Amino acid sequence: MIPEVKELIHRFDQLDYVVEEELATVLFLMLKLKKPLLLEGPPGVGKTEAANIIAHYQGHELIRLQCYEGLDVSTSVYEWNYQKQLLHIKLNENEKISVQEQEKFIFSDEFLLKRPLLKAITSDKPTVLLLDEIDRADEEFEAFLLELLSDFQISIPELGTIKAKHKPVVILTSNRTRDLSDALKRRCLYYWVDFPTFEKELAILEKRVGGEGEILQQLVKFIEYLRGQNLQKTPGIAETIDWARALITLNTVSLTPELIDSTLGCILKSQKDIIEIKHSLNDILEDISA
Amino acid sequence: MGASMVGFSEMCRQNGLSIGLSHTKEGVKTAQLGFIRDPQSFYFGLKSLFCKDFEEEVIFDQCFKVYWKMRKHKYAHKIQQQGKSNIAKSTKASLVMTGVRDKNKKEEGPLEGAKSVSGISHIEKLKQTDFSKIKAVDLGPLENLIEKLLKQLNTRLKHRLIRAKSGKIDIRKSIRKNISSRDEIINLSYRKRKIQKTKLIVLLDVSGSMDKYSFFLLKFVWSLKSHLNNIEAFIFSTHLIRITDLLKENELTESMMQMSERATNWSGGTKIGECLVSFNDQFAKRVLNGRSVTIILSDGLDDGDPKVMFDEVHKIKLRTRKLVWLNPLKGMKGYKPLAKGMAAALPAVDDFLSAHNLDSLMELEKILSHA
Repeated sequence: MIPEVKELIHRFDQLDYVVEEELATVLFLMLKLKKPLLLEGPPGVGKTEAANIIAHYQGHELIRLQCYEGLDVSTSVYEWNYQKQLLHIKLNENEKISVQEQEKFIFSDEFLLKRPLLKAITSDKPTVLLLDEIDRADEEFEAFLLELLSDFQISIPELGTIKAKHKPVVILTSNRTRDLSDALKRRCLYYWVDFPTFEKELAILEKRVGGEGEILQQLVKFIEYLRGQNLQKTPGIAETIDWARALITLNTVSLTPELIDSTLGCILKSQKDIIEIKHSLNDILEDISA
Repeated sequence: MGASMVGFSEMCRQNGLSIGLSHTKEGVKTAQLGFIRDPQSFYFGLKSLFCKDFEEEVIFDQCFKVYWKMRKHKYAHKIQQQGKSNIAKSTKASLVMTGVRDKNKKEEGPLEGAKSVSGISHIEKLKQTDFSKIKAVDLGPLENLIEKLLKQLNTRLKHRLIRAKSGKIDIRKSIRKNISSRDEIINLSYRKRKIQKTKLIVLLDVSGSMDKYSFFLLKFVWSLKSHLNNIEAFIFSTHLIRITDLLKENELTESMMQMSERATNWSGGTKIGECLVSFNDQFAKRVLNGRSVTIILSDGLDDGDPKVMFDEVHKIKLRTRKLVWLNPLKGMKGYKPLAKGMAAALPAVDDFLSAHNLDSLMELEKILSHA
């Protein structure tokens, strides 16, 4: 491990974020190469959290754009404040202003509603831009992003091309509900975020929740077992943390079938999964302790 | 360093990774950032640069191993000396680049390369394998492949079927809305194009002669259902059963179980004509309209009267925009639609396609997207 990466891991550790060597290396590279980073992986493994922590680490503002189907330029980049423009024209009706001047004025910064992408580009301070769940956005939007991600500039017909004052740190996340275009991937660093290892998850719990080591170990083992099953919705780290908090609140010392039975809703979010697991609780606990 | 990286990029490219000039440049930059001092960091760094997909990791790993690990020691040594030894290295790298490898690598390189290539060609082969000839061993990979391909297909379809979103200002409506505030327009109205969604009707033959295919086709139908919400599905052999509601299950196995409970005639004989009669009587008026595309998945081996078949298929044709017949047998060499039922139905069919392997199912995308 090179010292710079070690330093980064150490800093993250101070910020209560557990990061493995590979991700730390990639994050370091992202900051150095000033290239966007694409994080892919199943839901609930801490992709969004990585962006949060980078913003925290750098002391920059985090600008987040949650993608969804039908996301378009007017909600992601900019929109003219039509109402304000209309009112302005109305108010100036009686004053003698030439049409050109009028036009120039109503298409100025004052009437521009900045949406996340434009905000990130025009910000006076460096920012961290998080494009969350990019796989949900349409392909057209993805194509639009290309200009932004490679040159960090946005074209607005009325104003011309706006270049970034500071190149934002860009992080994209995807749950892989569809494949992203090659062109987009080419412009990004890529990292596949998987479910954490036993050690990592335990470390995360110790950082976030605290409490007895014994119970945490049992709990992580149980979650690990669940992830091995063919469930409809596999529990992520967020669920583990929720569950650990729940158990600690209940002053649990050891995992018992009854206790799991009553708190299973913290980690399993599907009726079918819950019934299935409840049926075989005793066997599972035996398996784990063996 | 530059030349080495060029060589490595070239090797990755040959093994199917999509790598451009900018990646090579950034690779060099990565090395210069100090990553070269530690093989593990160097590996992580290059991986994030060169791999663009979870699945590409395997290919990258092999390339990395072959290219860098084999001369790790020499390399580390050279870093310390720097400058001076660059020439020697670059010639070596360019050797690799042009494919002339030195003796040690000659055995290793192509062999590793071949491995990864065979992995890809295996997938290609699976796509073209007739469903009825798929070995049990391949079932796992095939299922994964189906999942992946269908996901792609559905995304593309969805984007073609659901379009028109950016709203434009609707002047007329805006004015009407703002009459109360005299001639000042304050609240704007927007308008969007109304989306006319294509409706999909699927009739799946589950008779004995289709046994080998029905599972895969059902999976196909099920997957369409989970992504397009406007679909009606029926299965038939000796009589017709509507399964649209059963497809709503989240789990395919669940759906299948309920289906087999309902379908007492699974793997039975085939009475396509009669089943189409009951379809036309009970459902056609309700589910067919000018926006619907009807797909019949059947081998066309009918026990009934071809005259009935002819009439019923024509009735469907009149009510639907497009009628597609997918016949797994068509994938066979020398197949001709000579079976009485099939021959009777054919004149009314807009598209007659095979559905015996994954590639042919993917063809359907074109038809659906133009519908």
